[in-house]
Amino acid sequence: MTVPALLIENLHKSFRGLIATNDVTMRIEPGERRLLIGPNGAGKTTLFNQISGDLLPGAGRIELFGTDVTTLPPHRRAHMGLARTYQILTLFPRETLLRNVELALLGLRPGRWNMVRPLARDRALVQEAAVALTRVGLGGLADRPVAALSYGEKRRLEIALALAQNPRLLLLDEPLAGLSTEERETVRKVIADIPRTTTVVLIEHDMDIALDLADTVTLLQFGTVIVDGTRDSVIADPRTREVYLGH
Amino acid sequence: MKTRGLYIAISLVSLIVLPFVAGDFYINLATQVLIAVVFSASLNILVGYAGLSSLGHAAFLGFAAYICAGTTVTLGLPPLVAAVLALAGTTLLAAIFGAIALRASGLGFLMITLALAQVVWGLAYRWVGLTNGDNGLTGLTRPHPFGVSLDSPAAFYLATLLTTGIALTVIAILVGSAYGVSLQGTRDQPRRMAALGHNVWLVRWTAFIIAGFWAGVAGLLYVYYQRYIHPSVLSMATSAEGLLGVIAGGSGTLAGPVVGAALVVILKNYASIYIERWNMLLGAVFVLIVLVMPDGIVPGVRRLLARRDR
Repeated sequence: MTVPALLIENLHKSFRGLIATNDVTMRIEPGERRLLIGPNGAGKTTLFNQISGDLLPGAGRIELFGTDVTTLPPHRRAHMGLARTYQILTLFPRETLLRNVELALLGLRPGRWNMVRPLARDRALVQEAAVALTRVGLGGLADRPVAALSYGEKRRLEIALALAQNPRLLLLDEPLAGLSTEERETVRKVIADIPRTTTVVLIEHDMDIALDLADTVTLLQFGTVIVDGTRDSVIADPRTREVYLGH
Repeated sequence: MKTRGLYIAISLVSLIVLPFVAGDFYINLATQVLIAVVFSASLNILVGYAGLSSLGHAAFLGFAAYICAGTTVTLGLPPLVAAVLALAGTTLLAAIFGAIALRASGLGFLMITLALAQVVWGLAYRWVGLTNGDNGLTGLTRPHPFGVSLDSPAAFYLATLLTTGIALTVIAILVGSAYGVSLQGTRDQPRRMAALGHNVWLVRWTAFIIAGFWAGVAGLLYVYYQRYIHPSVLSMATSAEGLLGVIAGGSGTLAGPVVGAALVVILKNYASIYIERWNMLLGAVFVLIVLVMPDGIVPGVRRLLARRDR
């Protein structure tokens, strides 16, 4: 049996009595594309926050690539190959696009402790950051400040920060939220082009695009896994219709 | 960019020429300004670049000054040994205080730094056997590095100018380095920084220690300038003046603390000649700055110039 990219066992989380994660167990294989769906407040983002380490679970276990990370701080998980994006844009607003990606690249390098060498002189880093920007179609805007970007471009930069790290496991939290039809197509292509060496877990409400990207789907409601399985089996399941797709 | 280099060159030349043309009063005033600049610049690492407002920075200035004076006067150690001990001790103190204060952030951080500094202040007053309490430590003489006497105001001014130049250069390099950019990242988006693999706590703690070290350097300059140390230097007023310098000049800019610290020292010296309640004047000036240029003089003037050029 292969080691799963992500293993979640009997995870619990509640906020003052409000149950956000209720006995969630999930197993995601390397290279898999998993879509998390569920009505608003189902606990999807809370689950992401526990996987990334922003929140500590009340009970249960989380394993990344076979290692128990349940109590590990976020930065340690990043060094194990985990990257994520945020539903609410979490960029460095005062910096240029290039600087944003440089900070992402630095996160995993010992060079981030260098206190002497001007960062702008690190040609290799600049080059790599430019490549990461080109990957999401922002190559021409490298020297612009984030504030000068459109919302759609900011969404793509959000993804670029995570993708630049070439993560082994990528958590995408509503990457299409608030985008126009054309922008959706651009982002869809960016996600579709992610190599299979990266496992992707995706939260998304745009079913037309998201179902197309996914191999497997997990449906959450009130923090509980309702249906879990291959894409077609979850779509066909009557409970999916009832809880989510039926409206 | 070219004009900026020209401005820096002109001010550098005038700073070097100053002791040869000005009287002792102005030379000493300039020395005080430079010491305040080093102190504010060190605090700016925390306040401006790390986004951590501290009200206890005087602890490091005063601690270094006390170690230096104490080991030289009481133990009779040579100045170089005393200086090394003072900086090492201050850096260690910053490491300990940082570890405690960084358990909190925002207002909590501010209050803890204040409380820790008050502990040091209280010790300086009460531990009379070590600090001579309210009488302070006297009898310190200025060192003779490489055989050069620093006894005259001009000589000490030039030594202070050199030290200030080194401090500002090192801090400027730090701010533009990978570490400095990461530090600013932890200020603007700590959660993202952690998700990207940066150890936010360690980055901040390191900044706290570096800031403490440079405040220690300011403390050495201070104690050798005064040749005397009194517990009042450890009071909250010293921390607050440093913080005012940073905020008035413009936090998170390299020139900000230079302008701000100069303003505080000069106002303090001049205003105290004419009015007894100079603190009130200082307060009024800062209220005015905050009203007109909320992010400080340097960013404010920069914005004005940009508007004029357009």
